[in-house]
Amino acid sequence: MSMIKFIIRRLIAMIPVLFGTLTLVFVLSRLMPGDPILAYLPEGKVDPIMYQQMRQQLGFDQPIIVQYFRYLGDLFVGNWGFSISINRGQDVWSLIMQRLPRTVDIAIFSMLIAGFLGIKTGVVSAVHRNKPKDTILRGLALIGVAIPVFFMGMILQFTVGYLVPIFPTTGFKTYSFPNPPSVTGFRMIDAFLSGEFYMIGDYLYHLVLPVVCLSFIILAGITRQSRSSMLEVLEQDYVRTARAKGCKEKDVINTHARKNSLIPTITVIGLSFAGLLSGAVLTETTFGLVGVGELLIASIRDVDYWVMNALVFVITILFVSINLVTDVIYAMLDPRIVY
Amino acid sequence: MTQEQIYEEDFEIKKEKSVVREIFSWFGSNLKFLLVPGSRLEELTLREIEFEQKKSKRKFIRRFKSFLTIIGIILIFAIVTLAVFAPWISPGTFDEANGIFYNEWGPPSEINPLGKTSFGRDVLTRLIWGARSSLTIALPAITFSVLFGVIIGVISAYYGGWVDSIIMRIMDIFLAFPGLILAMVFIAIWGQEIQYIMLAWGILGIPYYSRLIRGNVLQARKLPYIEAAKVSGAGSWRIMFKHILPNVIQPIIISFTFDIGGIILSLAGLAFLGFSDPRMIEWGNDIAEARLHLYDAPWASLWPGFIILITVLGFMLLGDGLRDALDPKLKNL
Repeated sequence: MSMIKFIIRRLIAMIPVLFGTLTLVFVLSRLMPGDPILAYLPEGKVDPIMYQQMRQQLGFDQPIIVQYFRYLGDLFVGNWGFSISINRGQDVWSLIMQRLPRTVDIAIFSMLIAGFLGIKTGVVSAVHRNKPKDTILRGLALIGVAIPVFFMGMILQFTVGYLVPIFPTTGFKTYSFPNPPSVTGFRMIDAFLSGEFYMIGDYLYHLVLPVVCLSFIILAGITRQSRSSMLEVLEQDYVRTARAKGCKEKDVINTHARKNSLIPTITVIGLSFAGLLSGAVLTETTFGLVGVGELLIASIRDVDYWVMNALVFVITILFVSINLVTDVIYAMLDPRIVY
Repeated sequence: MTQEQIYEEDFEIKKEKSVVREIFSWFGSNLKFLLVPGSRLEELTLREIEFEQKKSKRKFIRRFKSFLTIIGIILIFAIVTLAVFAPWISPGTFDEANGIFYNEWGPPSEINPLGKTSFGRDVLTRLIWGARSSLTIALPAITFSVLFGVIIGVISAYYGGWVDSIIMRIMDIFLAFPGLILAMVFIAIWGQEIQYIMLAWGILGIPYYSRLIRGNVLQARKLPYIEAAKVSGAGSWRIMFKHILPNVIQPIIISFTFDIGGIILSLAGLAFLGFSDPRMIEWGNDIAEARLHLYDAPWASLWPGFIILITVLGFMLLGDGLRDALDPKLKNL
């Protein structure tokens, strides 16, 4: 019961932050240089009458405060406007829904891989503290933090994509393959539903390099957290008791210690989502995956108001709800925490 | 003029001088305190102090002297040397690094050991000159955010109540965005010039630092020595910045070193996406240009990437070493 109360309280606390973000996005998008109507109207000669009509139709002639409330209302009603310059005239919602699944796919895959590997290497390096194994793993983890994502991507493209062509370097599907009938928008689920299993394989094959790249960004943070919390747990009394009882060292680490060291690590995994989103922008550009990150850059560069506003809205909601889920998991794992 | 007035004037002049000296000595003593644990043990006898100082200094240096940290220091030293002595080290001058030559995207040769990039510019020359722009953006930006972040965080945590909740809600809003995206928006608004890029990163770092220091101040605020300071009549500002701040600034120092690396990395990312000052010689810019020629001229894009890796790695290694030395229990991760 208290858990539900806690979730509700967190949801209510989200509201001011959400409004603040929306306000910030509105202000920033109005500060952007460039005229959206000029960008929308066909280039060359602009008809002043048509320009005025567009201005009225889109509400740009209203006072700024009215525009602000219209913007808020439209956002919540689901009237997200249309794309001005990226894909002229397309509905923003459908544009985002086209691009979002791919980003979500690579984010989830890399989160899973990085989480699994990070916890593993963190535990290993804590157990072998200050031994050569630990030094090597920590050094590798630091290289993981220090390497620019796009540099890593380019090395992978050059070596396993070009010199020894094992993996495809760009795109998300083999060029000649058709798209499965769109049901959910997620390519894997769609292919599964329509029974075209070779498409799933093809899709995963294309995602290998981006996911490796993206998981490397957050791997190091998870490893470090996992190592330090494991070190802390290994000094606890119950670990000493377990050892004194005569448990095997393997059992002490795997059953007594590791589970307890997981709690802070999971928080870090949840919080690394922001890093994943920033990384997704770079990874998508490097590998030519047409995803949300790539759309976001294009919308900022080409001053595509509605696309940018809606995207930032979606990203903020994703981000805040992931934080909420992390908190809830944290509370479920650690019975000592009372909310 | 009476005797008393003369005395007063004399006194004032002395006081003015001593303020300056006080600031310096405050900074000096605190710096020493921050870097040398246990250097402020005034209750002990002289011999004991001497002993403690030697012991803690030895410990600090021993902890600091790990293999990885030394590599980090060497890397940073190398990059800073490149940046400072660029005119003497680099084979070409600044104008040559921006010039237009024949043989675009040429392979490595004796004259151009690392090959040529767009407009036939020498890769090595551009690498060496590029060290300047990365460091000159990263350092002011992060100093800005540390300065303002610490002031805001300390004030917000010390006063608490509605001041705290308003400031922290604003910080929450900024933290709810991925930093790279917000930086892109800022740069799109202000224009792609070096001072605005610095300012954007400086502003974006503030919430992070104020969060970091706020938690520590909240803990320190309840400790007995703060009450003692209050009882003896110290003002709020004195307590905040003289009593609390020196005791909570350690995680900031650790994070500072890490974040120089982080900012250089993000700057390269922004430049890679095309949000950078195109007039600058910058590694990220070079990569963005050379990326399309990855397969026919890999040297033009891989060398700048490698040197970014080296620079960031240096700062991260140093940060790791500092954390191990200052914070042996790894409380502040």
